Amino acid sequence: MRMAQKGDLTSFEELVARHRDKIYARAYSMMRHEEEALDLSQDAWVKGWQRLAQFQGDSSFVTWMTRIVINLCLDQLRKQKRQRAESIEAMEEDGGVERQMPVDNPNPTAGLERVELRERIDRALAQLSHEHRTVLVLHEFEELEYKEIAARMKCSIGTVMSRLFYARRRMASLLAGLRREGSE
Amino acid sequence: MKNELELKVQAWLDGELPDHEARRMGEWIARDSEAAALAAELGCVKKAMFRHETAVALGESREFYWSKIQRQIQREAGVRRSRGLPWYARLRKYMLPLTGMAALACMLLMAVVRSGSPAFDEISSTGEGMEAVTFHDQSAQMTVVWLQDNSPAKVDQAAQKSIRYEDEPGTVIDLQ
Repeated sequence: MRMAQKGDLTSFEELVARHRDKIYARAYSMMRHEEEALDLSQDAWVKGWQRLAQFQGDSSFVTWMTRIVINLCLDQLRKQKRQRAESIEAMEEDGGVERQMPVDNPNPTAGLERVELRERIDRALAQLSHEHRTVLVLHEFEELEYKEIAARMKCSIGTVMSRLFYARRRMASLLAGLRREGSE
Repeated sequence: MKNELELKVQAWLDGELPDHEARRMGEWIARDSEAAALAAELGCVKKAMFRHETAVALGESREFYWSKIQRQIQREAGVRRSRGLPWYARLRKYMLPLTGMAALACMLLMAVVRSGSPAFDEISSTGEGMEAVTFHDQSAQMTVVWLQDNSPAKVDQAAQKSIRYEDEPGTVIDLQ
């Protein structure tokens, strides 16, 4: 790390090789598009190199890099949001069907094996909108608080809470549905 | 259940409520079956997702993945270097070709001026007993005529007259 901070590109390449999967995985979990995730993860490394002198070691290097790739993904998602029609997103923001549904199965993941659970979570995440997936990824995977998520997503804490609530209820519904599909 | 209460159940679950509010919410959830079911469902999703992120591996080789990063780093470093130059250094970069072009333009102008008509005309005419020399300066729009009487009677007197007039269309010079 110190060598890289002094401008040694070979040392930096070693850091990239060590953490590239994690950075790519975070980009992929937010974008759900392999090529976009690849480009954004590479852009994040370039930014990381340019700002390496600012890295003080308050968090781990990989956490620091993850923050960079998350910010790039959020910028990209904002650009995409501006380009696409807002109607579907607005409808989901209001609540959708799952939000008002009564809780019929408080434990939608019961009985699932670890690997199977991962796969199902992944499939269910893919069905969420960018906004709902992002808030879930930031809260559950990055373990950020509401106010941190709001700052990153440039929205209010209320919006974060609402999106997170909807995303969780939709996840519960999708996981229960997937479980039913699997048992049939 | 009201939406506001649902969000409070979630905030309670995420540890986002202040202590006193969290205590009250916990007591209420313990009493209310609907709130308890909602808390259980949200908690289940939260627990399921915790540390259950799918591991996604890059398909690209280490060298291929790095090559793009390296190219971009080197390209941006080049741009930054040129941006970091002081103003006079950047000016110098453009001054050399500009000076060359200016010198070339001067040379061309001089060649055109030299190849064109001269700036003045001089006509000399000698008649019997009289010599006239005309000098015309185009830039000053001026014509000077020297008349010299060379007749034998006048030679001794060294008679010489000079008439100067401004160019005007239709001006008649009266030669005496």
